[in-house]
Amino acid sequence: MRLHSNPWLRTAYARLWVRAKSIYGEPLWVAVNVGFPFFTSFSFTMVYRAYGLGSYAGFAILGGVMISFWGNVLWSMASQFNWDKQVGLFEIYITSPAPITAILVGMSLGGILGTAPSAAMVAILGWIIFAPPIHPFWPAVVLVFSLTLASLYAMGMALSSLYLAYGREADSVNEALHEPVSLISGVYFPSVGQGISPFPFAVQAAASIIPLTIGMDALRQSLGFPIPIPFIPLYTEALILALMAVILLFSSSRALRFLENKGRRTGSIAVRQR
Amino acid sequence: MSILRSIVASVRVGWYREFNWTNPFLGFSMRTVGPLAGVIAASSVYYVGASGAGKFNPSQLAFILIGAALYAHVAAYSWVPTLAIAEGKWTYVFPQVYISPHSSLPYLTGRTLASFASSTLTVIVSLVLSFYVLSSIFHTSIPFVVTPLSVSLLFLAMLVNIFAALGLGLLLSAYALFATKFEWALPTYVAGLLMVFSEALFPVSFLPHPVSDVANVLPFTEFMRASRQAMIQGGDVYSYFSYLGLAVLGGIILLALGFLAFRYAENRARRLGVIDKKTA
Repeated sequence: MRLHSNPWLRTAYARLWVRAKSIYGEPLWVAVNVGFPFFTSFSFTMVYRAYGLGSYAGFAILGGVMISFWGNVLWSMASQFNWDKQVGLFEIYITSPAPITAILVGMSLGGILGTAPSAAMVAILGWIIFAPPIHPFWPAVVLVFSLTLASLYAMGMALSSLYLAYGREADSVNEALHEPVSLISGVYFPSVGQGISPFPFAVQAAASIIPLTIGMDALRQSLGFPIPIPFIPLYTEALILALMAVILLFSSSRALRFLENKGRRTGSIAVRQR
Repeated sequence: MSILRSIVASVRVGWYREFNWTNPFLGFSMRTVGPLAGVIAASSVYYVGASGAGKFNPSQLAFILIGAALYAHVAAYSWVPTLAIAEGKWTYVFPQVYISPHSSLPYLTGRTLASFASSTLTVIVSLVLSFYVLSSIFHTSIPFVVTPLSVSLLFLAMLVNIFAALGLGLLLSAYALFATKFEWALPTYVAGLLMVFSEALFPVSFLPHPVSDVANVLPFTEFMRASRQAMIQGGDVYSYFSYLGLAVLGGIILLALGFLAFRYAENRARRLGVIDKKTA
């Protein structure tokens, strides 16, 4: 199938290109974006080294890598349609023949491509500075990493439909979601797993419905980090992540359709500042 | 008097900006949940690492808890001047503020003070809640000193730190006047730097020389140390006031630098015609 003959692929490619270009067209963005994840991960690595187990340093470095993607999902996926609406782009999306799912998928792929350099820099710098002990099984790492990103960005798509209904609340909701989700997902420490998680089982169970929690645990297992008892076996986690991605993708498409129809009926689809 | 009136009006604008999108209780709760989660996350990292090594010490947990909470406090309000300019350019507020007489500095000061007040409340609530949550889930007793005197000394340290935070905010604002690309990302970069260099989570002596020497004299580091002397068992009044004095001195120097940089940047931005420039 040729790219230019398929409107869905053309739309996804166009949206991907715009997003990737916005990062790669200004390489300084990589240096700017790497700042917060790197320094946060550096601080937590120092906490592990200063107070206890230097061998856990890898938890914090992996956290720095994944927090880049989580930040991208929140700020550049979830609230993107809301911002697009504020500047009048969303009306163009709706009135054009471009499939909205293609726009979302293109935006996700562009976001992954755009975030990859800063995430890679956190990983490389962390590995050079702290040399955490890892015993990775690379095929599993690649599989789990891809599935984690797929489910995480599918969650971003689902949130984007939700945020479309909001006005200025979207920014505050983002700010309120960022840290708590990082906390219970165990971005910088294992939040699930017997003998290592500081949280009670009820919190661990609740945290498991977030793709990032399962993804982080699976990544820690596949990288061979020192975890006494795995929360869920690695390949079961991979299966759960794949299921989450499919369900969230489907839900986001349905939710967007619902909000679009509602917006048309109530006349709020083009309302900008609220 | 007119400057004071401008500052008070800007404080009101700041609160309006922060809370008018919803009811005050929801707005306040949503601003608290982030710092609270940040404090619990930092403490959990410590707990996992130290417990795994069999070296868990409640005093160190108290050290991290105070540092994480106060770091979130400083990071929350020191970037407000930059936000006020960056957002103000897009909403046409900042050019309007600029063309009224002598108002940009009082405006930025007022916005910072508004955010300081709301962030002080959120950090106190975060500290109290995280104290109870962490005591419960870690099954430990965190050695805080909670008396009217210790809490007053903590407030005094937070007030003193306004000098340094406003100075840092003005330095970033000097850049934000010209910036059309990175002004939104810069404060998070600086927040990350603060986490490493202000002794928020670990003693700066763990950093390599000469980085540790620089971090050792930063007013934010002295503020953290003074706050810990006030709130953690074993602190003493002499050390508290020594650290507070250094925080004042460093804060005044940073504020003077920020003020000069902002004045210079403002004059230059006017000459170059970029006060209302939004895109490159």
